[in-house]
Formats: sequence, structure tokens, C-alpha cells
Amino acid sequence: MKKFLVAFAMALVVAAVFWTAPVPAAQRGRGAAPAAPAGPAPRLSNGKPDLSGHWTNPYTPNMAMRVVDATTREPMTFARQGEVLKDAIDPKRTFDLPYTDWGLKKWKEYDPVGKGDYTGNCLPFGMSRNINSPHGTQILQSPDAVAFLFEQNTWFHWVPTNDKFKWPEDLPEAWNGVSVGHWDGDTLVVVTKGFNGYTRLDTNGHPHSKQMVMTNTFLRKDSNTIEHTVTVHDPKAYTRDWMNVRTWRLKPANDVIMEYSCEENNLANILNGAIKVWHAPEDDDE
Amino acid sequence: MKSFITAALLAIAVPAFAHHSIVAEFDPNQPIEFKGAVKKIEWTNPHIYTSVETTSADGKSVVYRVEGGPPNALYRQGWRKDTLKVGDVVTVKGIRAKSATSFNVGQATITMSDGRRIFGTGGNRAASAETQQQ
Repeated sequence: MKKFLVAFAMALVVAAVFWTAPVPAAQRGRGAAPAAPAGPAPRLSNGKPDLSGHWTNPYTPNMAMRVVDATTREPMTFARQGEVLKDAIDPKRTFDLPYTDWGLKKWKEYDPVGKGDYTGNCLPFGMSRNINSPHGTQILQSPDAVAFLFEQNTWFHWVPTNDKFKWPEDLPEAWNGVSVGHWDGDTLVVVTKGFNGYTRLDTNGHPHSKQMVMTNTFLRKDSNTIEHTVTVHDPKAYTRDWMNVRTWRLKPANDVIMEYSCEENNLANILNGAIKVWHAPEDDDE
Repeated sequence: MKSFITAALLAIAVPAFAHHSIVAEFDPNQPIEFKGAVKKIEWTNPHIYTSVETTSADGKSVVYRVEGGPPNALYRQGWRKDTLKVGDVVTVKGIRAKSATSFNVGQATITMSDGRRIFGTGGNRAASAETQQQ
């Protein structure tokens, strides 16, 4: 049995690596028609690249796997990197991001088995985990805004890009934060803040605070490809900014966005105790 | 090595799309394998469930609910709600729930009597023997 447990743990690592690999063919639809040959990136009437389309965004359950320096885009190195955190809830966790003391505490104490995770309760995953999810994203774009339609739980995120638009200053904190977009040449830059602090950055449970400013950039390199970067700036949780760089692929035309109802059977599993009921932490950002 | 390969296949077989913790509900210390007849398919988010009836060691009928992947991902791989029919005889390998009162089975593979893996990678559209035996 011990052998099985060791093998199972190793297998989970293998599986995590496997599912972190960008753009598995299966996600693009087995037997689906291939996407058309790449042409130049389409543009809107205002000359900006048009990001519209149904995209395969790489499933990323562990953002620490390929973390790079936010400035150089080189693999990141930092003090204590790789140190095993034997006193963490899961003693296999390591010092895998440049944590502050606060961030490290949150990383060590994350306990999805003992306390449950909010996503099992079908609560909003947060901007980061929406983009990390494996189910694909439809983008709709006009000259004034970009809408992200996440198949994951049928969620959406609206990003105004017209600088005349102003969000109300007294909007409440939000699970997914509030975003504003602007163009840096042909790159869409989406800056998101105003988080409620209840969410985690990824399935593995990497932490962030309410103070996080998350920046996602999208560069449509050709008709079939987007270069996506995500940068985490959160001085409360991390001593340095860090980045992931990913490639999104356009799905074939017959791979369509579909409804996704998390509650469909998780509700019953919550009521019968198989999934733990999530409670907002009283000291969520302390 | 054999146990590693088996466990690796188990871990990879069901995509890690779950947003509830597998280890929170299921116990890797309780592997289970049985043969039985399909009773019902629940094609629901975020996981499908296939109810399979078998006979326990004491001769009683038991119905296990076998958790599968997310229906949208399975659809894209070519699987459909009616890929399996009620009455089909299958072999299930997986791990049991931690709760003694639960008959849910997680991290599961379902194999037809002709050897075809159901709801694994390589759906009906990729219906070659090679892909189905992966």
C-alpha cells in the first residue's frame, strides 16, 4: 500500500505536469476540423488588432511552474527558492514564488482538503483562475471594450478600453476584480484590481491579497495565435513581481463555447457533505 | 514500476479539471475494481456520473456512482451522453470515497467488455483501436 501511495503521489505530479502543458490536442477537440492556416491578425475599423474568437487558453493549475521575471522574462531566481516547507499543511509544498512573510503564511496554511475550497462551492474563481481554467474563452471586441466569456461556470468579464469610460469609484470589492484596458501599440493591456481577497491565483492555491494588481496582456501575433502574459504585482504577498507567458490558440470553427453549470451536481455534493461548505475568512487579508 | 504506471494512468485518465479537491472526497488507500452493468448516466457539470450495478462479496446488489470528467471536455473528445447504454457491461477501476456511506468512485477508468476505454482521452470520433487502447 505504501508503494501505491508513493506511486499515486508521483502520478499526480506527472498528471500536473501533463495538464500544465500548453494546448493539449484534446482541448482543441478530438476529430474537430483543424483551424484554418494562420494569416495576419485581423483588425477593427479603428486599426487595433481584433482579439475576437474562441480560444484555447492553456490550463494552468500551477502558476509557479514556469514563472519568469516580470522585466526580463528570464526564469526567475530568488532567495529560499525550492526550499521544502515541512510545516505547511501539505509538507510537499516548496518556497516556489518570492513570498513575503504574509504570503508564505497564506501558502503554508491553504487547506483545500480540510477546509474546502471556494471553487467547489461554485463561487467565482477570480480573474486569475478564470484565465487558468481548461475550458476555453470566447473574446468579443468592439472599439470601446473587450468582453471575455469564460466557459468555466459561464462567467464573463468586461474590460472597457475607451479612456472616457470611468468605473464608479465606490464599486464594492469583487471576486474577479475590476478591469480597465488600454493599448500599448498592438498589445491589449488589461489591469485588474479591486479584489475581495477571497480567491486564490490557481488550483494549487497560490495566494494573493486584496492589494494585488494583476496585469494581463494580449498580443494577437497572427490569426490563430495570441501571446498572453500575466503579471502579479502584490507587495503584500510577494517581494517581487512575477510573470507567466502563455500561448493561446484559436479553436476550430466547430468547437463552440458551451454552457457550464457548476452547481448542477456540486450543489448535491455540498448538501450531502462530500464537498465542504466554504466560509469567508474573518481575517481574510490580515 | 508496474504500480507507478498503473497509478500514473489512473491520475492521467481523468483530467485534473476538478475544482473540488479529489483527495478531499476520495481515498487513494481504497482502490476498487469491479465488473457490473450500467444503470444510469448523469451527464452533469462539473463531472459526469455513471451508475454501475454490481454484486458485493456477500451477494447483495450495490450501485456505485463513478465520477468522470467534465461533460464539455468529454463532448469535445467525441464522447456523448449515449455512448454508454443502460445495461452495458463494464469494468470499473478507481478509488472509493472516504465516507463509508458514499458509493462514489473517483479517479476512475471504465472499460467495455471488448476492451474499449470509455470517457478517456480519444473519443468516439477518434475511433481507432490505437487511440482507444492508450
